[in-house]
Amino acid sequence: MNEQNSIPVTKVERSAKFVKTGFQISGNYIKHYSKKLFNPDLGRDELNEDNATDIYKSLSELKGSALKIAQMLSMDKNILPKSYVDKFTQSQYNAPPLSGPLIVRTFTKNFGKTPEAIYDKFNLVSTHAASIGQVHEAELDGKKLAVKIQYPGVGDSISSDLKLVKPFAFRLLGMSEKELNIYIKEVEERLLEETDYELEVRRSIEITEACSVLENVVFPTYYPELSGKRIITMGWIDGLHLKEFLKTNPSQELKNKIGQALWDFYNFQQHELRAVHADPHPGNFMITPDEKLGVIDFGCIKELPSDFYDPFFSLISSDVVNDKAKTIEAFRKLEMIHATDTPAQIEFYYKAYLEMIQLFAQPYTSKTFDFSRPEFFEQLYAYGEKIAKMPEFKQARGVKHFIYVNRTNFGLYTILHELKATVNTDTYKPHTV
Amino acid sequence: MATSQQIKTGYIDYVLTHNEEPKSVYSFAKKIKISEAEFYEFYASFESIEKTIWVELTAETIDTIQQQEVWAQYSSRDRMLSFFYSYVELLKKQRSFIVYSLRKHKAKFAAPDALSGVRPIFENFAIGLINEGLETGELADRRFLTKRYKDALWIQFAFIINFWINDDSAGFEKTDEAIEKGINVTFDLFQRSPLDNLFKYGKFLSRNGKFTENRKKY
Repeated sequence: MNEQNSIPVTKVERSAKFVKTGFQISGNYIKHYSKKLFNPDLGRDELNEDNATDIYKSLSELKGSALKIAQMLSMDKNILPKSYVDKFTQSQYNAPPLSGPLIVRTFTKNFGKTPEAIYDKFNLVSTHAASIGQVHEAELDGKKLAVKIQYPGVGDSISSDLKLVKPFAFRLLGMSEKELNIYIKEVEERLLEETDYELEVRRSIEITEACSVLENVVFPTYYPELSGKRIITMGWIDGLHLKEFLKTNPSQELKNKIGQALWDFYNFQQHELRAVHADPHPGNFMITPDEKLGVIDFGCIKELPSDFYDPFFSLISSDVVNDKAKTIEAFRKLEMIHATDTPAQIEFYYKAYLEMIQLFAQPYTSKTFDFSRPEFFEQLYAYGEKIAKMPEFKQARGVKHFIYVNRTNFGLYTILHELKATVNTDTYKPHTV
Repeated sequence: MATSQQIKTGYIDYVLTHNEEPKSVYSFAKKIKISEAEFYEFYASFESIEKTIWVELTAETIDTIQQQEVWAQYSSRDRMLSFFYSYVELLKKQRSFIVYSLRKHKAKFAAPDALSGVRPIFENFAIGLINEGLETGELADRRFLTKRYKDALWIQFAFIINFWINDDSAGFEKTDEAIEKGINVTFDLFQRSPLDNLFKYGKFLSRNGKFTENRKKY
């Protein structure tokens, strides 16, 4: 009953949380300058580290959209220290439960009927929380169902959370308001889409039908007639989450099979559908008893327009990267190099981004790729850390689509790394002109 | 022959069209084509019509929720939540009239006269829930304070109704949030909390502190 007591729920409480962070940050500045009095060599790095730690600490205590924003912003720096990521994923697993009467109320509002009147069985106690709702177990005509119910007022809190998070994002990322707004808007759009359950059902059906050609990937059946603005009814998928699955000590062969399914699922979507499930959160996947990958949440879909897809994937799967002029041309299209850049800047960003693209493209360069290799990830983290320290990267670059595409692909790489899977990376290749 | 239902509907229709009470019972009776005597057979005044409407809505809500299958599984907290959700759902059908009836009275938090008939019904319902909660241990029995629980719930009642008539969110979703959060907070205060333990600990310390002091004297 008391689970929600400790979660800051109202805007006032959330603001209080943010205000606290503000104090801590000014505290860090004071600390910094007083230390500097005695030790003039002290760099800003330590200060930045202190600030980042406090901001993340404060954000990770929040739920819902603030949490998602924290994740998103961290994605912009591409790679976060692993401990932060762990903190975020953890807190996503437990959100405040809705009361039984509010669940009944949500049903009567959507369908004019109580859950008992709709299903043969309905468990009023939720089995687990999703980030903006909770999941209940139900039964109809002998079939086990999962019913997802959204918390009321989520849409409103997303917009107000974004407003709250902005000033901190400016400081954390050191971007100008105008630049940041483009990214914030992209995040807001996706988050608001996630609250539209009718859209989610439509897309889920489309994507699961298109993906039915894939081997070893299974999806729940969706019931549009039992779904509405705040409710989604789908088939129940039995299985283990990634962490539990790994605890069962699966064979390498099985890990490869699941890893392959994941790889195929993402690359088929990116290259064949040009729209991708952009939430590679471990909680969205299940490993079923018959050794298949179950995908359960299509709330966040990122569409890839051609003006992004073509330049970006031409860098990855063709010999464009061997031709400097063509590469710079592609970087320009992706706004990684700006028209106003000086020749020196062009050279600098060309080198820095080429390194990133080459890292990103590594799995595509051979027929198979072993994601268990720590070197690859060490290189990724090292690169992330390196650019985080470069003053040239204080200003954000790149079109807005990068936020979700990076999140998706680095998320996929991370899961494959956790699985320690070796996969054939030539199954669904980028189509480039 | 006039019925109470007919007078009620006629009255609602009148106030919603004119946005004010009829000038007199005489003119109203004439308008709905009954005699004044027939009117007084059912109602003493216009006010009593309004009170009756409120009372009926409240009684109907309590009656409906108690018949739901899940009622037996609900805790006291859930039952109170269930009441408010069903109540605002039912009020929705008469929203214009409810808004008219409450807006007439300017005072914000104080319950208007029209609700005077509702209060005993609601309090009776609340006392039932509170007593059940005390029995099962869901709520904390506190000397002096326990008797005030029902008043706290009545304040929530007035607050929620006021919130609802001013709510312009789609599907009155904000009211749902107000109910969920308000009732949960109220019941959180009713149940045993660290403060109770702190209070007890303080009592213990003050008693035993004196004890040691007294011993030192001798």
